[in-house]
Amino acid sequence: MITTLLIIHGLMAVALLGALTHQSLSMWWPATKRAGSFLSAARAVSSSSYTNAIIVLFLITATLGGIIYPAYRLNIRVILQDYRLLVPEGSFELKEHFVTIGAGLLPAYWYFWRRPLSPDWAGTRAALTTILALIVWWAFLVGHVLNNIRGFGS
Amino acid sequence: MKLARILPLFSVAFAIAYALAVEYNLAVFTYHPQLRQFAFGVERPKAGPAMYWYGWIVTSVALALLVSAIALILPRSWVARVRVWSGLSWLIPAAVMVFFVYLLKGYFLR
Repeated sequence: MITTLLIIHGLMAVALLGALTHQSLSMWWPATKRAGSFLSAARAVSSSSYTNAIIVLFLITATLGGIIYPAYRLNIRVILQDYRLLVPEGSFELKEHFVTIGAGLLPAYWYFWRRPLSPDWAGTRAALTTILALIVWWAFLVGHVLNNIRGFGS
Repeated sequence: MKLARILPLFSVAFAIAYALAVEYNLAVFTYHPQLRQFAFGVERPKAGPAMYWYGWIVTSVALALLVSAIALILPRSWVARVRVWSGLSWLIPAAVMVFFVYLLKGYFLR
């Protein structure tokens, strides 16, 4: 059961990572017209269309993470402590706090990304999206590395 | 959309409340995963670890809701200063993230 939830958690995280990266790219480095290259296509998306999907994906991914969190505390964290793997353990502690702060940011994120977009709040939107993108990238990489340390299904 | 206007304030209040909840261990409840038991308030570990994270989140949501509710009854002009909240809505959470990096520096500086 935990393994299934972990896989779904990972898949949701990938979708969230993609959506937030798209939104960040199109916001910081917008393409004026859609050219043929992969990168310009990634930059040419309508950034505001990702907002609701990002909020839903963030909440689903964080909730799934919260459900499987006790398994980490019982089976993985003790191994990290036994082997004195302080950096991975601390990285996960940061992930836990960053994701919580990210979840708390979602109401403001939704508010400032509401349509019609106000040009006055472009800077705020950029800052909020960047913070959320950093949080999600950090959470994804730390989760991936920790999964590799412990070994899948072990 | 009077309610929507307080959303940035909620985010700011949540970030601050969460930092306080973690720093002072203000968990509404404790979860003992080994025993699969919930306990009201902060409890020491019994068998296996004690988890306070869920309790910290509930504490923070409650405090942020309280602050938001107070803001709703304050003069409209005060809450309507969205420009102020627009800056703080990312600045304060970013500062709280830096605070956690500082709090957990012991893991990385040994």
